[in-house]
Amino acid sequence: MATPRTISRASASGRASTSPPSLWDPVVRLTHWGIAAAVLLNALVTEKGSLTHVSLGWLAMALLVMRVVWGVLGPAEARFSAFLPNPAAAWRHLRQLLSGRVDHYPSHNPAGALMIYAFWASLAVVIATGLYATGGATPMQVAADNAAVASGDWSALIKESDGESSKEDSGLRDTILEVHEVAANLLLFLAALHIGGVFVESRVMRRNLLKAMTFGDRRK
Amino acid sequence: MTASLKLLTAGRRQTAALSLFLMIQTMGTVFFVGDVIGDLRSDPDSGHFIFEAIVTASLVLGILFGAHALRRTIELLRVQDQALQVARGALSDVIDRQFQSWGLTPAERDVGFLALKGLDVAEIAELRGAAQGTVRAQLTRIYSKAGVSGRAQFAAFFVEDLLGAAVPDAAVAAQ
Repeated sequence: MATPRTISRASASGRASTSPPSLWDPVVRLTHWGIAAAVLLNALVTEKGSLTHVSLGWLAMALLVMRVVWGVLGPAEARFSAFLPNPAAAWRHLRQLLSGRVDHYPSHNPAGALMIYAFWASLAVVIATGLYATGGATPMQVAADNAAVASGDWSALIKESDGESSKEDSGLRDTILEVHEVAANLLLFLAALHIGGVFVESRVMRRNLLKAMTFGDRRK
Repeated sequence: MTASLKLLTAGRRQTAALSLFLMIQTMGTVFFVGDVIGDLRSDPDSGHFIFEAIVTASLVLGILFGAHALRRTIELLRVQDQALQVARGALSDVIDRQFQSWGLTPAERDVGFLALKGLDVAEIAELRGAAQGTVRAQLTRIYSKAGVSGRAQFAAFFVEDLLGAAVPDAAVAAQ
């Protein structure tokens, strides 16, 4: 237990500390691309409220949970402590980008870190409102309800239109769905900003950041 | 070098597989937790719910332990990788200094490095865009400057320092 810790500290103070990893660990990469795929599919392809949409939402939730666990238990550069939100440092970094000479960081740069927290917060809002809209039904339950309705048993629909569901209730539901929509669009906007950021950083830092999030340098 | 590289590639594949496994485990757990919460709201007193809650708790623990083990594997691989790079860097420093003390020209240093890496004359000539005769002449000059009989002794010059143990007396006497 003690050995890897001390070694990791030694390696963090060495060459690795002056630049981000040339290849992120597999958990970071899997959660990154998994969430990216789930968000894109749900925003642009799947039918709202469908079984696929709900399943992908739960998948994104699982990936987000995994990433948060990894942010506490993972290796040094994947941990939250390596990229705490720091707006002042982010601003400084953006100004450095304009001058074309940036400091290098062992993990995400401060601007990228802020982007990540903004993305996670929006994703959490999308997931929470989505859960509210489906009444917290797991994909299994949604599938079971769908099957029941398909077989002619409409009782599964009853809980949604529970008698004289008051006007406030449906008003609240509309608001929640509105928030779901807005936060989802915010996610897409942040994703676009993120792609632009990766492009600019890669040019200024003269590092292929995309490689670090995919397969790294195949030849060594 | 290739053997150690293979080892690292295998390690990398292992961590990727472990991560994938951890991911699937997390998905299962999140779905299960959702189910338990659903049960809790509909029927909190049933034995079914208590049993499910225990299973879910153990799943969560499994994820935490799995993540911790994966972290350690990743860090261990990194340490190995770094040790390898340090060793590589140290050896090439030693070779560089030795080449300088022999007074090799830059071209001869290049050829010497490639020869030490195990490339033959044809390969070196192709890499450097030179004639094979040129490379052969350069190698001969390198050997004479180094005072070695040929390629085997040239390579042995650097390996000898890495092999700590001395040649046993019996082997020397037999020669």
